Amino acid sequence: MANDSSPEPIAVSHSVRKQLLAPGKFRLFGKNRDWWIKQFFEGNAALSIVVLLLIVFTLFREAAGFMPGNRHNLEVYRRAGLEYVDILKRETDAVAALGRELSATRLAWFEALRAEGLSSEDANERLAALDEIDTRLADASGPLRDIVSEMTDHASGVKERAKVAEDMREVRANLLAGIGGSDSERVASLKAQAEAVEIETIDYPTEVVALTGRLPEIQAANRSLSAELGAIVAALPTASEAAVAKRLQRFARELEEFRAGLPRAEGELVRWRADEPIGFFESFNAFLFGRTWVTASFWQDWYGVLPLFFGSFFISVLALAIAIPLGVCAALYVNQVARPAEQRFIKPYIEFISAIPSVVLGFFGIAMLGETLRLVSQVPWLSWVPGFPMQERLNAFTAAALLALMAIPTIFTLAEDALQNVPKALREASLALGATRMQTIVKIILPAALSGITAAILLGFGRVIGETMVVLLCAGNRIAVPDFSAGLGVAFQPVHTMTGIVAQEMGEVVRGSLHYRALFMVGSLLFLLSLAVNYGAQKIVRRYRLPQT
Amino acid sequence: MSTAQPLPAAPAVSPKAAPAPATPPIVEIEKLDFFYGDKQALFDVTLGIPEKQVTAFIGPSGCGKTTLLRCLNRMNDLVDVARIGGGEIRIDGINIYDPRVDVIELRKRVGMVFQKSNPFPKSIYENIAYGLRLHGIKHKDKLDEIVEKSLRGAALWDEVKDRLHDSGMGLSGGQQQRLCIARAIAVEPDVILMDEPCSALDPIATAKVEELIHELKTRYTIVIVTHNMQQAARVSDQTAFFYLGKLIEFAGTQKIFMNPSNPQTESYVSGHFG
Repeated sequence: MANDSSPEPIAVSHSVRKQLLAPGKFRLFGKNRDWWIKQFFEGNAALSIVVLLLIVFTLFREAAGFMPGNRHNLEVYRRAGLEYVDILKRETDAVAALGRELSATRLAWFEALRAEGLSSEDANERLAALDEIDTRLADASGPLRDIVSEMTDHASGVKERAKVAEDMREVRANLLAGIGGSDSERVASLKAQAEAVEIETIDYPTEVVALTGRLPEIQAANRSLSAELGAIVAALPTASEAAVAKRLQRFARELEEFRAGLPRAEGELVRWRADEPIGFFESFNAFLFGRTWVTASFWQDWYGVLPLFFGSFFISVLALAIAIPLGVCAALYVNQVARPAEQRFIKPYIEFISAIPSVVLGFFGIAMLGETLRLVSQVPWLSWVPGFPMQERLNAFTAAALLALMAIPTIFTLAEDALQNVPKALREASLALGATRMQTIVKIILPAALSGITAAILLGFGRVIGETMVVLLCAGNRIAVPDFSAGLGVAFQPVHTMTGIVAQEMGEVVRGSLHYRALFMVGSLLFLLSLAVNYGAQKIVRRYRLPQT
Repeated sequence: MSTAQPLPAAPAVSPKAAPAPATPPIVEIEKLDFFYGDKQALFDVTLGIPEKQVTAFIGPSGCGKTTLLRCLNRMNDLVDVARIGGGEIRIDGINIYDPRVDVIELRKRVGMVFQKSNPFPKSIYENIAYGLRLHGIKHKDKLDEIVEKSLRGAALWDEVKDRLHDSGMGLSGGQQQRLCIARAIAVEPDVILMDEPCSALDPIATAKVEELIHELKTRYTIVIVTHNMQQAARVSDQTAFFYLGKLIEFAGTQKIFMNPSNPQTESYVSGHFG
């Protein structure tokens, strides 16, 4: 004791003193209770962050292998000559499309004649000239088709052999990797096995000569095709029916365009080189801007994310176009107009929507919404609506309508918060100046809450673009960039989405294969997209936050 | 009331405010009873507010002075449970609670300045132009002219004329409050209600606003609610003292502060409670 004259300690009741001063009895590894509690909470926070980092790491690690993999894929495509064959195939496909067009024209003409009162025999007789042209068109591309067919067999054969060789190389590598340990007999046997694996070295340049060597033959076929098409255009009969005549004219124009394009295709063939290297960015571009997604094909796999990206984006925009007016207007009503009793009813009701499992919404979409929409679209007096009658029951609009339902609670709740944060004083000031309630809402409340509402919309977008189940069930899953030439009717086309493709194909894909990595690429793209959207939302909220006084 | 303490001196009445004889009332409140749900907030208040003078409502917290002020432009309509129990308020002889009265029109004639300055999150110019546009003034030249006039009227023009298009939220507290006054006078109301307009301001900003009130009363009828008795004494011509929802005394400011007839008024103005 340093100071004996210190005053008497203040009398504190025994129990209080015990609580205040007694060090906790709990001890574990020399640490007291507070320390452990702190560690517990700290650990939980740390765990969440670690898990997130792990997810991000895995996603990008698996995706990273895609670039070189796809590059190799494209390299084989070129070196084995598949690319060369595809150039030629485009020609024969175009002729086939012209043939289909001609058949459709014939059908229209036939119906027009029947409508004029001709019997079907008479009508067929009148169309005999057209039928002859149809046959001539099919025959015209015959030699070219034969060439393409033979070349296809050759090129895919080469590719198949390349694939087998690669598999064998892998088998040998696996056997050699198994060598190790002291069992000399086993090591010797494995080595022997590995050496016994036959690996064919494919001499691409000589293989490709079998294709490029046929160029003169192709050129000859092209010349005769061009001449025959010219003759067909000249021999095309004329129709007295205006609509049919118009179609025939268009057909003639398309034939001429095709003829004019033939030298260009030939030039492409002449310029083509099997040993032209594939750049790293070519592989990247093939993913990001590729318009086809074809997997497990006997010919060539394509991993172009564009149709999926378009599908996701298109559905999300449609969904927001429905959800924004509904969500924001509902928030405005609840926040500015509704009586407290209405507020108590509406708010939980809208927020409840988010509790509906998405798969339930999905089969509601298939069974009810899709069916109803199709029935409605077939009502004759609604045929002025673009896209009606609908071709497909499940399409972008069906999915978007359901996604809108899922986005409404997000947009509603956050927009309502944003409106709630607008100081009541602003509303009073406006009303006191003689503004009506509507004027106050439109000119004062809405602009003041705009940043919050924008953030709400962005987060709604994030919610929608990441949604999987509903789009998988209801979007129709056709992998193609929507045809925007259909105008607003484009909304009724089936699309496929980035989320949908991952969910659909991930289960069947071979682990580590190029397809597997392509799906991870899609996942990474989605991840980056949501990250950007969420980051943007936070930035906007922070940037335009009203000063809180 | 304790008599042990010496009476503090009553606040000095400014000579400028001194001997204004009451003009004929423009706002007449008659036997007004007012309720929040079941709770009665105002009891049988009868009061005539004279034209082109400053009338101050004073009294301790919860005495109903702000409630009465907000009855004058029907801002209490925004409160769901608020209702008039009896009596009426007439402005220019028209009962403003008559169902035929257009509340929008009423609020154009009775402007208001709030306790906390509440400029819109818009530019200084737009803050003032907003009310004008509501009243159908669209022409740019006309708007420019009235904005300048109003800012000059609120003694703010010289301070902001170079930054009319900056945000009104960027002004200081006192400037914001004068902007709110400019906003109120821009639409040329007959009456301006001020709800403790200086309670959030420092003494210098307060002095400026008070000076402004002095200038404004030549053109407007002003009703001001204040907690600050010195302020009431400095700026007002008439003073009404409220206590527990009742009007205790209403008279010329000089009389209220120098020679109140009611003992409750006397003990309040001399600082014994409140």
